[in-house]
Amino acid sequence: MNKIKVNMLLLCGLLGCSSLAYADVAVVVNLNNSTTLSDSDISRVFLGKLKKFSNGEKVTPVNLKFGSATRNEFEEKALKKSSSQIKAYWSKRVFSGKGKPPKELGTAKDIMALVASDVNAVGYVDASTVNDSVRVIKTF
Amino acid sequence: MKNMSKALVLTAGLLANNAQAEVNFNGFASIVGGVTTSSDEALYGYDDNFDFSKDSLLALQASSDLGEGLTITAQVLSRGENDWNTEFEWAYIAYEPTDNLRLLAGKQRAPFYMFSDFLDVSYAYPWITPPEDLYAVPFDTFDGLSVIYTSDMAGFDTTLHVIYGGNNSDMIFAGRNVNADINDLFGLTFTVTRDWLTLRAGYFDTEINAKSAELEGLGQLWADAGYTDINNELLISEDKGTFLELGFQIDYNNLLIVGEFTQLETDTVLADDDAYYIMAGYRFDNKLVHVTYGAKDGSTDRLTNDVPAGALDGLISITNGATDAESSDIKYVTLGLRWDFHDSAALKFEYTNYTDDLNGDQDAGLFRTALVTVF
Repeated sequence: MNKIKVNMLLLCGLLGCSSLAYADVAVVVNLNNSTTLSDSDISRVFLGKLKKFSNGEKVTPVNLKFGSATRNEFEEKALKKSSSQIKAYWSKRVFSGKGKPPKELGTAKDIMALVASDVNAVGYVDASTVNDSVRVIKTF
Repeated sequence: MKNMSKALVLTAGLLANNAQAEVNFNGFASIVGGVTTSSDEALYGYDDNFDFSKDSLLALQASSDLGEGLTITAQVLSRGENDWNTEFEWAYIAYEPTDNLRLLAGKQRAPFYMFSDFLDVSYAYPWITPPEDLYAVPFDTFDGLSVIYTSDMAGFDTTLHVIYGGNNSDMIFAGRNVNADINDLFGLTFTVTRDWLTLRAGYFDTEINAKSAELEGLGQLWADAGYTDINNELLISEDKGTFLELGFQIDYNNLLIVGEFTQLETDTVLADDDAYYIMAGYRFDNKLVHVTYGAKDGSTDRLTNDVPAGALDGLISITNGATDAESSDIKYVTLGLRWDFHDSAALKFEYTNYTDDLNGDQDAGLFRTALVTVF
């Protein structure tokens, strides 16, 4: 058993395993926004493929900074991609002139402030930090 | 590099003219070193001296949203193999009347292959460069118009891309630098993506004109000998060319499988090429290990079959030599590792084993390593 564990550790050391424990991520919209987004819609919005809510209003996704733990978790769970895959995905879009990645903000507080003031915005934050200025539409 | 800064200033000036317009700058770079494994081998421009320039490049892209669906994009690119001279790779205006429709006018990428859109952005794909023996049309961009229509049908993302235009830059045809004139280039590609699966098909046709002193000289000798038909076959003038591409990509969890098939046919002395490759890769966190197997068959017709042996033997031999040199029966295997060691940069290592059964001199092993980045 010990040997297997050591081998697994070695493997992790060699290949770089991601850490396993994460908190939940809440996807948030403006309080005046009553539309819904399915899991697939959320993924398509953050990949720049879906540009409007079902009511025809423009949707503006907003990201946390590259490398933040909450963003990594959101991308793993909602977009089903690693952060380097997402980076490569956006480099394809940017350099083929097909779009640019969502704006980035530094903290959950910044995200909620923006979402609270912009009816078109969609963001995500660590679920434990959500306050009542925004509406949670999904928790991953 | 001096040209690069000039081009940038010019681009920035053009784009910044509109005071309200915000200009976005993005860039990418690859520093690639390569060496063949033995002193008598050469492959893809590398030999047994370690070379850092062949595949190295640096590019800057500026784009500006002018509002009302109008954007302007320019990309300037310096390639090590061209002494780092800077050229405008792209310069186009895009208009998006709706979310689904995009019209492009100007110098832009010809969408021949799966990875055409970001052909030079090594960061965007697993290899250091996509397989050279399939990504082999002598030009990558064209001047003209594009219509791109995207739609989402029941969870399937589809893209239809239609192009029309031409290209009259210098190109390498069959190892010779020629002044080519590609006219009436018409093309159509269709791509369907659903979750982890992408399927793609493309068809292009064009008229090809190319001036090669070597072929013209040879043709003149045949004309002088009374064989004007052979002269006509040797000249690349108003010849038709067609290109077909089929591709797929599976990106399922940590597994990545990509394959492409292409068929390039022309009415010229250039070979008709059938090529394919299949690549399988597996991601271990920030490392991707991949293996690619590919093949290319190039066939040419001898032009001299109806010429009786005897007085013209010397000319027959030179002409057959020129057409036979175009034939190929290539097989290659590439083993590679991509390591995303940084937020915006990756290190890549690749070894390619290459054989050409019709030309044993071409057999080679090539080791390449690259530092690639986007910024």
